[in-house]
Amino acid sequence: MARSLVGFTVLLLFLSICESASFFQPISDSHRSAAVELFSPDHGSLKSLEETYEALRTFDVLGIEKKPDVTATACRLVSETVGSSSSTLKDVFYALKANSIVKCKINDKAYQGIITRLNAAVDGASSLPDFYYSVGGLVLVKGSKGDVHLADADGIFRSVKAFRQSDGRWRSSSSNPESSAFAAGIALETLAGVVSLASPELDQSLISTLNNDISKLFDSIEKYDDGALYFDDKLVDGHDHQGPLATTSSVVRGLTAFAAVTDERLNIPSNKILGLANFFLGIGVPGDAKDLFNQIDSLACLESNRVSIPLILSLPSTVLSVTKEDLLQVNVNTVLGSNAPPLTVKLVGVFTSGSKAASLVESQELVFDDGTGMYNMKNLPKSIDVGSYTFVFEIVLHELEHEKIYITGGQKKVPIFVSGLIKIENAEIAVLDSDLGSIETQKKLDLAGQNAVSLSANHLQKLRVSFKLTTPHGLAFKPHQALLKLRHESKVEHIFVVGNSGKQFEIVLNFLGLVEKFFYLSGRYDIELAVGDAVMENSLLLAIGHIELDLPEPPEKATRPPPQPVDPYSRYGPKAEITHIFRAPEKRPPKELSLAFLGLTFLPLLGFLIGLLRLGVNLKNFPSNAVPATFATLFHVSIGAVLSLYVLFWLKLDLFQTLKLLGFLGVILVLVGRRVLSHLASTSAKLKSA
Amino acid sequence: MGKLWLICIASISILLPFLCNAFSPETPTDRRVLVLLDDFAIMSSHSLYFNALKSRGFDLEFKLADDPKIALQRYGQYLYDALILFCPSVERFGGSIDVAAIVNFVDSGHDLIVAADVNASDLIREVGTECGVDFDEDPSAMVIDHIGYAVSGTEGDHTLIASDDFIKSDVILGAKKIEAPILFRGIGHAVSPANSLVLKVLSASPSAYSANPKSKLSTPPPLTGSAISLVSIVQARNNARLLITGSLSMFSNRFFRSGVQKAGSQTKHGKSGNEQFLTEISKWIFHERGHLKAINVKHHRVGETDEPALYRINDELEYSVEIYEWSGTSWEPYVANDVQLQFYMMSPYVLKTLSSDKKGLYSTSFKVPDVYGVFQFKVEHQKLGYTSLSLSKQIPVRPYRHNEYERFIPAAYPYYGAAFSMMAGFFIFSFVHLYSK
Repeated sequence: MARSLVGFTVLLLFLSICESASFFQPISDSHRSAAVELFSPDHGSLKSLEETYEALRTFDVLGIEKKPDVTATACRLVSETVGSSSSTLKDVFYALKANSIVKCKINDKAYQGIITRLNAAVDGASSLPDFYYSVGGLVLVKGSKGDVHLADADGIFRSVKAFRQSDGRWRSSSSNPESSAFAAGIALETLAGVVSLASPELDQSLISTLNNDISKLFDSIEKYDDGALYFDDKLVDGHDHQGPLATTSSVVRGLTAFAAVTDERLNIPSNKILGLANFFLGIGVPGDAKDLFNQIDSLACLESNRVSIPLILSLPSTVLSVTKEDLLQVNVNTVLGSNAPPLTVKLVGVFTSGSKAASLVESQELVFDDGTGMYNMKNLPKSIDVGSYTFVFEIVLHELEHEKIYITGGQKKVPIFVSGLIKIENAEIAVLDSDLGSIETQKKLDLAGQNAVSLSANHLQKLRVSFKLTTPHGLAFKPHQALLKLRHESKVEHIFVVGNSGKQFEIVLNFLGLVEKFFYLSGRYDIELAVGDAVMENSLLLAIGHIELDLPEPPEKATRPPPQPVDPYSRYGPKAEITHIFRAPEKRPPKELSLAFLGLTFLPLLGFLIGLLRLGVNLKNFPSNAVPATFATLFHVSIGAVLSLYVLFWLKLDLFQTLKLLGFLGVILVLVGRRVLSHLASTSAKLKSA
Repeated sequence: MGKLWLICIASISILLPFLCNAFSPETPTDRRVLVLLDDFAIMSSHSLYFNALKSRGFDLEFKLADDPKIALQRYGQYLYDALILFCPSVERFGGSIDVAAIVNFVDSGHDLIVAADVNASDLIREVGTECGVDFDEDPSAMVIDHIGYAVSGTEGDHTLIASDDFIKSDVILGAKKIEAPILFRGIGHAVSPANSLVLKVLSASPSAYSANPKSKLSTPPPLTGSAISLVSIVQARNNARLLITGSLSMFSNRFFRSGVQKAGSQTKHGKSGNEQFLTEISKWIFHERGHLKAINVKHHRVGETDEPALYRINDELEYSVEIYEWSGTSWEPYVANDVQLQFYMMSPYVLKTLSSDKKGLYSTSFKVPDVYGVFQFKVEHQKLGYTSLSLSKQIPVRPYRHNEYERFIPAAYPYYGAAFSMMAGFFIFSFVHLYSK
């Protein structure tokens, strides 16, 4: 749990950073809009009576118009719960609480039933929550009906007090050994109820012992650095642990309820009340309905408590401009933002942040402006120049009686930034020769407008940039940011802090000593000057121009410039399309030419045929006998078949089919040819011999 | 009784692998997120952001960062799909979580959101380094901008920055333009130039620098200008997505609700852009945008429907693929005009942009190159903010068979003619030779 506490501290610190260092703003419109958003029926809340009551109470405190549907839902829930005898004690309690805000119509009979039930519950109660719900219920009934009282108030008071522990914390039931501040708050609220219900007055000594317990309880209060105070229960098991907000809220409710019924003045230092108020305001706008309720309800309790009412000093603006002659405005409100009693706000002193020098101004009163309801200081004192300061305020109440009712918290330190226009003069840029320091080129700069200086230098020269800054009051001004940036074409950047002597800011870049740092990169360097400060209204970032640097060639072992980030947009995106280039088809002669040559190839055949006819060829040797004639015919048919096979081979057949057929035809051709040729040979031999 | 136990154990062991996995196209819904906090009060102070996540159906589990019971995995199974670290000051995580566990968590495809803050602990810086960003080493440094600060009556030190230098990507930041600047207060970081997976989503303005606002600046600040990244994202190679920022308060209700006016600008926005920016970017982080899947990869010859085992050179073919984008609830057609197909062997022979029918179907047709070998159909779709699609399918390409060449070439007719006239002459000559007297 200690760890969660540390965490909470961190969070609160973080929130306090958000809320601008250690002063607190009262409840504002942002709370109202948050409340409307968080407590809307469609947001999932307003399911149970407890949530309904929390919504109604928050709306009531913040002065938000209740939406009719919320009221109607609430009334329906209230009358259901009050009318039925099976509803739990807790529901009855919250129904009565909700009813005290929305004022539904509940008939007398139902009231009588509830009074009997609650009385019985009080008598039979054995734990703190039982007492809390039943007594609280009776108080609420008394508020609307008026004729309720407890018969044995003394006895009940004592039995509730039995839960008290010696350290001021309370146990929630006799069986639970753990004591908590959360239970203490509940107990105080219960006892306050008992006191108000007691028909014969209670024994005053009982009440005054309780006063002592409250003091003890406040001894265990915890503290943040910024002055906020809170209660937290360090339970060993976090079983039903409530957060610091719920615990503190419970104590505040109990305390204010008890303070309201007792005649005695409670013995609590009033700045502890202020610390509690600071705690609730320091949370800002919670994002949780329950937290918002706890915050708003507790602040409402503090707003009208009888111990002391905290007054919150706040400033609408902590950034004041000298040039625009801003008013110093201070607001003093109660925690919920309503008006404070007549009072005076004094400016006790103004100190420069971070120094321990004496106050810059004398103590003076701020003027109250009826129109805005704020305390103003017309002109800032002459001694305040631009810078960050701590203003110390004090609230003085006009009437002495109010001192007892209100708590102002003594002196209040507020960090304030006073900003103004800074005068920039004598800005110039120059290239110097190294050995003599003589000026080679010098250019004036106009730091308020555009500049496009173009210079060139080599590694034996120096670059000097100088300017002068003065505040509106004519004093030297030292900005937080005075940087000179040189950016090479390849995006390699070099940054230098411009130093100052008095008003004059000057930087001299000796390139001889910087070649290593510049990675021997010659070329164009863009020059940028940035001068800025939190209180400088005319902070600037200016491109002065460029310098062409001529640096020596890098030696072998020179360090390479670091890689520069790649532009993410260029890394992605579609690539260029690629189409395949197909092999070009072979060049061929036109078809006509081929056909013409085809015709030509038949010419020799034609000539051959004509020649044969001219020679007067005949077929007289053709065998006349039937058998040789048949073989001769077959022989020529087979030759024709083989030649046709070649044609077919060209037309459609493949090699294997052709060879198969050729083999077959070849055999026939050989056999037949042999017969024919032998016959012809024998015929011609006979002829020769004859 | 024993039987019942057995059934119980069996059903658990079957269900266990499905209980919690990284984003997968098969089971993209039901995502559980572990939120580690410094304090439970952040639940309340940052509730708008958490509620925005819850309303989109995420199951957030809030734990203190040093809770000794926290764990990311049990019995080798991850218990969560995503992790949100809203604990800038934690020095040591509780339970079994450490930097290595977080790195493993991301390496197995899970998403991570890290918010650091001023005085961030070394542990959170180390997580940032593992993610590829380097926070400013000076523990009290903040991003300061004397020109681009947010005008405020109560903030005088210019550490509350109004930044509007967004990455130009609709998929990361949503189609709706973010009008109002983003409020930022925290530390800056630099992204490593060598790391191509990290992207700057929100950069600081050129006048910004990172330094301790309370002390004098004597040495040049390590981070200046637009090199300062305020919010960065990472999309790992396994599509795990990470968000890293140096400001926890930018998620807070206060910044969500606060109005914003940038210094030097006259327009005053009623509400800062934080809510829109962070909600939109969380949609990206949790894969509700920009997560692609490709199905039904098909290719066939023109005029056919069946996928062949191989192609012949010079075939005309058609290729088609369906690409869908996860929208958080369903797979919607992905519409783009730069999905490209490569026909690849050692290097792309054909690279063609696929045409889309706007319903998710991408198709194209082209002629197979006249080079044979083993090719691949490759779709390498890499686009800023989208998960990368990498599809490849191997397909062999063969040359012509012997009988697939041209058979009757006109240019060769004279040769044919010569041969056949020769044959005709031979046939006639055989008669003349044998039988002429």
